[in-house]
Amino acid sequence: MSKNKSGIWSFFSSVKLAIVFLSLIAFFALIGTLVPQREAAGALAERISPALFSFLQQMQVFDLYHSVWFFLLSGLLAVNLMICSVDRFPLAWRRFRIRPAPQNENAFKYLPEKNTFKIRADIHQAADTAVALLRKHYGDVARADEDGSVFLCSGKGRFSLFGVYIVHLSILLLIAGAIIGSVFGVEGYVNITEGEEVSAIHLRDNHQALPLPFSVRCDRFIVEFYENGAPKTFQSDLVFLKNGKMLQSGKLRVNHPIEVEGFRFYQASYGAAPGGKATLALRRDGGGRDVMNVSAGYIFELPGKEGTFQVLRVEENLMKMGPAVKVAVRSAGKEEAVFWVFQQIDQIRKISPDIFEQVPVFNPGLFRPYTFVLLGLEEKYYTGLQVNRDPGTPLVAVAALFLIGGLMLILFFYARQVWIRMDQEKDQLHIRIAGQSYKNKAGLEREVQYLLCELKDNLERSK
Amino acid sequence: MINTAILSWVTFIYFAAFVFYLFRMILGREFWGKLATGVALAGLVAQSVALIIRWKTSYALGMGHAPLSNFYESLIFFAWTIVLLYLLMERRLKNRSIGVFVLPVAFLIMAYASIAPGINNRIEPLIPALQSNWLTSHVLTCFMGYAAFTVAFALGMMFFVKTSAGGDLSKASVFIRLLPSEYQMDELMYSSAALGFIFLTLGIVTGSVWAHYAWGSYWSWDPKETWSLITWLTYAVMLHARLVRGWRGKRMAIMAIVGFGCVLFTYLGVNLLPSLHSYMT
Repeated sequence: MSKNKSGIWSFFSSVKLAIVFLSLIAFFALIGTLVPQREAAGALAERISPALFSFLQQMQVFDLYHSVWFFLLSGLLAVNLMICSVDRFPLAWRRFRIRPAPQNENAFKYLPEKNTFKIRADIHQAADTAVALLRKHYGDVARADEDGSVFLCSGKGRFSLFGVYIVHLSILLLIAGAIIGSVFGVEGYVNITEGEEVSAIHLRDNHQALPLPFSVRCDRFIVEFYENGAPKTFQSDLVFLKNGKMLQSGKLRVNHPIEVEGFRFYQASYGAAPGGKATLALRRDGGGRDVMNVSAGYIFELPGKEGTFQVLRVEENLMKMGPAVKVAVRSAGKEEAVFWVFQQIDQIRKISPDIFEQVPVFNPGLFRPYTFVLLGLEEKYYTGLQVNRDPGTPLVAVAALFLIGGLMLILFFYARQVWIRMDQEKDQLHIRIAGQSYKNKAGLEREVQYLLCELKDNLERSK
Repeated sequence: MINTAILSWVTFIYFAAFVFYLFRMILGREFWGKLATGVALAGLVAQSVALIIRWKTSYALGMGHAPLSNFYESLIFFAWTIVLLYLLMERRLKNRSIGVFVLPVAFLIMAYASIAPGINNRIEPLIPALQSNWLTSHVLTCFMGYAAFTVAFALGMMFFVKTSAGGDLSKASVFIRLLPSEYQMDELMYSSAALGFIFLTLGIVTGSVWAHYAWGSYWSWDPKETWSLITWLTYAVMLHARLVRGWRGKRMAIMAIVGFGCVLFTYLGVNLLPSLHSYMT
């Protein structure tokens, strides 16, 4: 790399800039949690002027996390990260490669008194003891013998110098994985009524249909509740078919997705399927009772041949008063009678006894001499599935592992070097221990003190 | 239930520990400090016992899940991790003066869990979304992170208390003299924030893995996710500013306090926004 770096290079290699980008991304993320996003933005449209709304929409304020701004910011951060790392990596590489010489005058300059001690011992024996100690704690030991002096040097934790680059690499991988996901990924949903089969899903961002290379059938949807009313299980029994042959089948539950040909299916929601069937009973005053299965649109002849009745609608829960069926009875010479038949009519009348006077269309006996009774609805659910395909996920998973590994290296390890110097002074041995590190100076100081104590003990014991 | 009864007692135990730490700081007698440590430790043991009882009870009721499944349980666990982390730190540093800033936070959280209206302290079965092995590891790592950030916040507050008293220690009160030196507080603030940062990262990663299995995507910009990212970025700025730009002391203290604000919003404030993470019932 050339020494005279260009302006752009030095601009992007600044950590100040990284701090600005990190803060900007945090600020953008914050705005996104305050301004309603995507589907939720619709509610805001009614409260602000249309011009402002469309301006904000153009600025992609309502889809901030997928906006050009956010991509741009992530891209700039990525460039910043890369240049910062490339700019500083050679230094880390030099520090990693360097094997300091055993003789190091600088390390012993300004050495505090507590890092030295004197002892009566043979210098060669003492040096061997010190080498053994360094080998135990640090690994390889470099040694230099001079007349009346021994110099030793060892170190460890050098690989932790790369921690920060591993973390930066992981962030780049993360951004790459996220971009792959948003470009090649699919985020969709589909509702399937029990017993039905679909072969396309709807995309979440523009609600367009996307055909699947296979079809999905939902045989059954089960919802179970605890005694306190909270849901216990949501389960869809799914069958995946291709060209009439079964690819796969399984029970889809929350937290247990099913993957088919790269598409992952998730249990997301459920509901009552519209247009269900109902069981109606028809009672004639003083006469018999007919029971029939009906659904919207059905036309029947009245048992006494006075005319016909038609089922207009079948409702799961009309006005929060339970299941109901809307019926029209037509008879020659009479006005058409249209009314609702509630399943829980007895309870409704208990609460408001004069309901028939107030709302005549709620009277199931409006057409004399018949009374309609709704015995029940056939329960049918639809299951709401989330369908995703994200080819970026493996990359993001690798990034997460790198991120954690790199952070551990930075936090729990550090590169340091220790030197032991022994000088024969008359009948005494002058021993000095020095340490050097780029960070965690306090930790190194403690470590050197421990080393000093241990060496002193070992030497005294070997006397 | 017996576990909630013990837990409400623990609230008072932590308050007592705080008062004893305060006595030590005002009177300057180490007796109060030792008493405070003993009381805090007793509270931690009682709380651990209560948590284990609660865990076992959930099995006896046929639900079988760790006591980390609703807002009440998360508050209790938050207080537990704070006291645990603090006592470990006190032991290692042999310095009791941080307790007077940390214990009140633990006490307030416990009190909030016991008194605040609308907090359900019953053991309840898990709804489908929470029926995952990732629940425990996700909540555990997140709250370890939160606890470390709480300690960093307490140190940040201490830093301002110390600096506001001026430089001349000989004239300062016992309280100020007992506080660690500004250099020490700065180092501790950094270590706590860095530890919290690792745990928050683990919390976000375990959460992403879980979301990948439960919601269909490792990241869906849910407000809680977004705020955890904001918190993560805030501490990332703090660590970079210190390691590369050499920020120390006052600036670090401000970052520790701002970061804790983000933590609180991630934990509590997000419940005001529509979120998949809303379990404030």
